[in-house]
Amino acid sequence: MTLAPDAVGRPPQPRPAIPALIDEATVESIAGETWIALVGEDEVLVPIPGDLPEDTLSAWVDVVGPWTGSVVLTTGRQTAADLTRALLGEAAPELLDHEDVADAFGEIANVVGGNVKAAIPGPSTLGLPEVGPAPAVRNPADVCRIEVCWRGQPLVVSVQGALPSLPVPNTQHDNPHQNGASQ
Amino acid sequence: MTLTTTSFDWVRQLVHRESAIVLAPGKEYLVEARLLPIARSMGLPDVGQLVDSVRTRPSPESTRKIVEALTTNETSWFRDGDPFTALTSTVLPSLLSARGPAERLQIWSAACSSGQEPYTIAMLLEDAMPTASTRVAITATDLSREMVERTRAGRFSQLEVNRGLPAAMLVRHFTRAGTEWQVSPSLRRMVTVSECNLAAPLPRMGPFDVVYLRNVLIYFDLPTKQAILRRVRALMRPDGWLFLGAAETTLGVDDSWERVVIGRSSAYRPLKGN
Amino acid sequence: MRALVIDDSRAMRRIVSAALEGFGYETRQAGHGQEALDVLQEGYAPDLCTIDWNMPVMDGLQFVSAVRANPAWRALTLMMVTSESEQGQIVRALAAGAHEYVIKPFTADALRDKLALLGMLPEEAVL
Repeated sequence: MTLAPDAVGRPPQPRPAIPALIDEATVESIAGETWIALVGEDEVLVPIPGDLPEDTLSAWVDVVGPWTGSVVLTTGRQTAADLTRALLGEAAPELLDHEDVADAFGEIANVVGGNVKAAIPGPSTLGLPEVGPAPAVRNPADVCRIEVCWRGQPLVVSVQGALPSLPVPNTQHDNPHQNGASQ
Repeated sequence: MTLTTTSFDWVRQLVHRESAIVLAPGKEYLVEARLLPIARSMGLPDVGQLVDSVRTRPSPESTRKIVEALTTNETSWFRDGDPFTALTSTVLPSLLSARGPAERLQIWSAACSSGQEPYTIAMLLEDAMPTASTRVAITATDLSREMVERTRAGRFSQLEVNRGLPAAMLVRHFTRAGTEWQVSPSLRRMVTVSECNLAAPLPRMGPFDVVYLRNVLIYFDLPTKQAILRRVRALMRPDGWLFLGAAETTLGVDDSWERVVIGRSSAYRPLKGN
Repeated sequence: MRALVIDDSRAMRRIVSAALEGFGYETRQAGHGQEALDVLQEGYAPDLCTIDWNMPVMDGLQFVSAVRANPAWRALTLMMVTSESEQGQIVRALAAGAHEYVIKPFTADALRDKLALLGMLPEEAVL
């Protein structure tokens, strides 16, 4: 429906970077709705930045489609544990193990990621949640990042491309350093 | 924290009286979070002052805003689905056979809030009859300008479309627009939206074949209820149908209506000779 | 009434189960589509399945197709509960035979509304 037949054979279009597809306010509203529905109706995300502690944990899902990248949630390990307790409620065990946290934090990433995916041009596929140290940012221009606080603790949501930046386009006048004397 | 215990208790009592919902102690935070936008919209700095202001000068409008902010997260689409089932099963067939083929049916959603009710009616009609857009006109009104604008825009959040809107209707009548869902142009064309205060003399509208006036009367005292029902009846066709909220009735308020049971729902029809 | 809650996240299975139990359901859980099929084949006969989309081993859409391919499970009500929310995905799931579709994040009220639409609220059956 969206793929014109003559698209095949044309030179590849420049890949869209995420700031052209989604803005911070949208990511913030997706995360905010996720928290209120999933964590609890009083659990507001406050849009103020804070310094992440040294010991952080990230949960993310990959999106593969017209835009390819990851939706990454990063917070302090203790905050991730608190989130897990909030999700598990009375069913939370006395001692949380890593699997409990990976499961709950990963599911939050899945919900935020699914909604980010649906808000950008598709169709795309969504990967299963992963948990660990955050994936590296490949291209600083292909990132949409918000910083919020939950119960006073900082949390970052980063929608980041998985692909390195494209080689410098061959339109020379875009880059005076490449061929300074010509024109 | 600006909310004193006295203010919080007043809000709790109000919400309990109007909705039978109990706000547990410790929900001060929720009251603050939900009422702050209302305070700001009235030019007040905090929720404490909002409560003081409404306590000294009570008005159904502010009362309703407060109660709604604390009791409804999102309005459901087929909230108490029975009045909608009654529309397609009984009311619509009877009206279509009573009216000429060129006559347009007029339906009024009298407290449309963010638009779920008028668009629910429009979807049901479009699914029930292919000629709906030319045979039916829906008027949607609300007291609040903000609600009127939201209804006119016909855009709903993910959480809103999750509330009781059948998935098949969602994909048939809406298109995704970013994080929101946009109602189809054909439905929007069926619905005309305007501001209207039911507690004051009504503008020239109608005459209506069907009126949905749900969960509005509960906020008013008896004389105002009577006045509203009288004004609404003056805008209805003699063989029209009125739907009230599940907890509302004309019985003991205004005896110029006849209650008709339709399935699990009730409608009210103007009594002849009144 | 009985429900089989299918989701690869334990936390989400717990949230969905707790909501359903609040409405009067008895629940069982499965971590992916194949595990759910095994539970059905063992003879567990739920009235309702809530189904996540993205799961390891067998995803929700494959599960829906497998259930629809077996006439013995015709009476089973299938409700997707997933963060997949592209319009095309919802259409695919309905076309494969899902009855309803709840988008994550959802509230317990949203689940209740959808079950009410399907006539699947046990309390109503009692009334």
